[in-house]
Parts: sequence; C-alpha cells; structure tokens
Amino acid sequence: MVRKYVALLRMKYIEMLAYRLATIVWMTGAITQPLITMAVWMNIDPSQSDAFFFYFMAVIFVERMTSAWDVWELDREIREGTFSNYIIRQLHPIHWAIAENVVYKLLFLVILVPIWAVAALFAPALRFDISGGQLLLFLAAVLLGAALRFLLSYTCGLLGFWVTKVAAIYGVLEVISLFLSGRIAPLEMLPPFLQQWSIFLPFRYMIGFPIDIINKAANGDGIMKGFVIALIWAAVFIIVLQFVWKAGLKKNQAVGG
Amino acid sequence: MGKYWRMFREFFRACLVEELEYRSEFLGNLISSFFGIGIAILTMNIFFYQTDRLGGWSYADVLVLLGVFNTLKGLIDFALRPNMPRLLEHVRRGTLDYILTKPVDSMFYVSFRHLVFWRLIDVALGLGLVVYGLAEKRYFPSFVDIVVFFITMAAALVLIYSLWMMLMTTSFWVIRIDDLSFIFDSFFETARFPIGMYRGWVRVVLTYVLPAAVITNMPALSLLGKWNISTALIVGCLAVVFLWLARRFWRFALRSYTSASS
Repeated sequence: MVRKYVALLRMKYIEMLAYRLATIVWMTGAITQPLITMAVWMNIDPSQSDAFFFYFMAVIFVERMTSAWDVWELDREIREGTFSNYIIRQLHPIHWAIAENVVYKLLFLVILVPIWAVAALFAPALRFDISGGQLLLFLAAVLLGAALRFLLSYTCGLLGFWVTKVAAIYGVLEVISLFLSGRIAPLEMLPPFLQQWSIFLPFRYMIGFPIDIINKAANGDGIMKGFVIALIWAAVFIIVLQFVWKAGLKKNQAVGG
Repeated sequence: MGKYWRMFREFFRACLVEELEYRSEFLGNLISSFFGIGIAILTMNIFFYQTDRLGGWSYADVLVLLGVFNTLKGLIDFALRPNMPRLLEHVRRGTLDYILTKPVDSMFYVSFRHLVFWRLIDVALGLGLVVYGLAEKRYFPSFVDIVVFFITMAAALVLIYSLWMMLMTTSFWVIRIDDLSFIFDSFFETARFPIGMYRGWVRVVLTYVLPAAVITNMPALSLLGKWNISTALIVGCLAVVFLWLARRFWRFALRSYTSASS
C-alpha cells in the first residue's frame, strides 16, 4: 500500500507541474470573495478591524487547505465514461483522488505558510501566540475539515451514476456552507438560530472550527465537543460513501457499453 | 448600424431555436435564478443584522444596488459569457480565420454570436428587486432620475463590455487557461457593494482604474435621486475611453494572430 501511494503521489506531482500556470491562477481565484467580505465587516465595525483581518486571512488559508474539487472531476469522468478506466483497476479509485488532494494541499501549504510568516512581519494583526498543543489541535482540525469536505464532495460526485447534474446539487451545498461554515461572517456574528444550526451541521467543521481554535474563540469544552461532532460526521460520510459506491457500481453503465 | 441590429436579432433567433430544444431546462434555470438572488438578499440581511448602514447606504438603498448588480450580471451571462470559451477555442484551433473572412466586424461577431437567453430571467429579477427596493424606501423616482438612470446604465454596459472584451482578447496569448471569466467575476463581485464601503487605495482603484463601483453605484444612485450631472458626464466619458481602448487592443491582438497552420 505504501509503495502504491508513493507511486501515486509522484504521478500526481508530475501532473501538477505540467499544469503550473493553471494551478497558480486557480489558487488565487478564491481570494476575492473573503477579501470583499472582510471589507464589509471592517466597515460595519471599524474598531474590530484587526480581528476581522486575522479572521479572513485565516479563512483564505483554511479554505484552501480544505477545498475539494472531486465532485467536478467525478461528474465529468462518469459522464464521459472515462471513469471506467479507474473502476477496472485493482486499487479503489478514491486513492487517486486522495493522492491528488495530498499533493495539491502540500503545495498550498508550502506556498501559503511562508507568505503568512512574511506578512506577519509587516502586519502585527497577523501574529498569533498559541501553545504547541493548540497548534496541534488546529492542524488536526484542519485535517479533519479537509477530510469532511473531501468525503462530501466525493460522495456527491458518485451520485453522478444516477443524475447528470451533481455539480448543481453540490453548488447548493456550497452556498449553504457559505453561511454556516463561517465564510460570510464569523459565526458569532450570525443570528442565534443560525449559530445553533451551525454547531450540529458539518459545515462549520470545514472552515470555521479550526479558526475558532487558533483564534481562541473556542474554549476547551467547546473544542472537545467540536471534535466529537466532526468525527461523528466523518463516520457518517464514510458509511454513506461506501453505500453509494456499492450501489453506484451496480448502476453504472459506461458510455458506449 | 441597422445591419448590426438585424444581425443581433438573427443571432438571438438562432440561439432561441437552439435552446428551445432543451425546454426541460427552463424549470432548473428558473430555480437557479431565484436561488441566486435569494442568497444575495440573505447575505445582505446577515450584514444588516449587525448594522443599519453599509458604506453610508441604508438597507433599501442596498437592495436597489443589488437589483442593478443582478440586472447587469444577467446581461453579462446572457450575451458575453457564452462567447468567451468559444473565442479561446477559435484561437487555439485556428478557426478564427472563418470569422475574419466574414464581411462583418470581427469584434462584434465574436462577442455576440452566442446568447443564452435563460439568463434574461436574472435581468427581470434584478429589475424587480430595484422596484422593490424603491418601494421599501418609499421613493418615487422623477422623470429626470429615470433618464439619468438609463444614461448611466448604458455607460455601465459599455464599460462592462469593454473590460470584458479586453480580458477576452488576452486569449490570443494565454490560450492554455480554459476559462478566463473568473478573473472578471472576482473583480465584478466588488460591484455588489456601495463604493463608500471600501477604504484607501482600494477605493481609488475601484473608482478610476477598474471602475467596478461606478458601474453599479451610479445607476443605483440615479434612481435614488442622488445623482449629479458632472459625475454622470464623467461616467459617460469613461465609457467611451474604455471602448476605444478595447477596440485598439482587439486590433493589436488581431495583428499578432497567426492562424493555426502557419
């Protein structure tokens, strides 16, 4: 398994290098929306400008680290029939997607962390002071968030075996997550009933929760509870994914077949 | 001029016939349009949950602005967006030759040949939101307000067209990116909000360099009766300048275009 993964990772790495320009352009693409939202919040409450600045920079970072694009890939591959190439191989196709995610996100990490470090030299608002334990918790939360988003996106993509418009379904989920993950506003700024919903739905754990840890907005108890809920969601997603996968293979009729 | 108007009508008819093949998409498009504008309003409500003024604009004012934004966005998606990937394709395959040899203006042809008329739903919804915002504010625009609105709206359309065209023209050099429109989208997103909300150099850039704010703010302000004649004139001049620039850039790009086989 390890050898297979090394091979997969190397392949995906080379693939990524081949599309350098597209990768960079794509990476910068998701920045404007958080920046504009930041401007809105700074305008609403200028006294909190520094806090909003830190929050939305963290949103950009966490959003990139947890982003998932598998639904579009799967949608296209299933529709065009090229997904069959993966099905007939012995290795479960999800491993290709996982390897791709690992490679791209490591690249984002390698690029974004130094940028943050340099920016913090000039902008005191970006400096933070946390213990090693909290940092580990933050990284664990980011990893969990990435896993949640990946699972959701991959499961949605597999629905492509039945419906042709999975991208639209996922689009609706993305919009819901816009509000409940903390991208439109830090969660404590939302109306109370939305805050309550956000705790129990998976979206907060994809972006807002890691930021709450590094922000120290969540206390020990809240962090504990957050991890439990996120893990439950991860388990649910894994079960659903397996179910959809099995049912989907039965349903699958490759194009031309 | 009459010839181009006739041609535009012909493009419209051809695309209408083509799309009526897929009538079942109507419901889906209707839902997605309503969903889009609903989400935009909801977002504003979240912001206004914490404040009652955004960049000096009240909630009703912002609704009018959002309506203008949605209308313009609908028009972009109707006429401009469907054509961008096709131009990239023409340049890559060298099929632009066929267009260049037609006895029509090539810039006109590549920017309006394909129309997705479903997106006119967004235009209708945007105009509806404008009316609703005005009703909410209980402001009835005077005749002059409406005339200025139409002038600034026309200028906004020319500005959008020019900026879009300049971006699209870069496809002669950066043919490897599938779709450049998201660059425009990132910039156009800033036009959703009152310009007064941005600070410092961002405001300067959005007013003079990439006049996003002017595009939506001016028409909205005209309808709300807060226009003045000098800014309206400046917007008009800006539109002409940008159109001229886009035109020059297109000509320049065509000179450097070599067909696929040469």
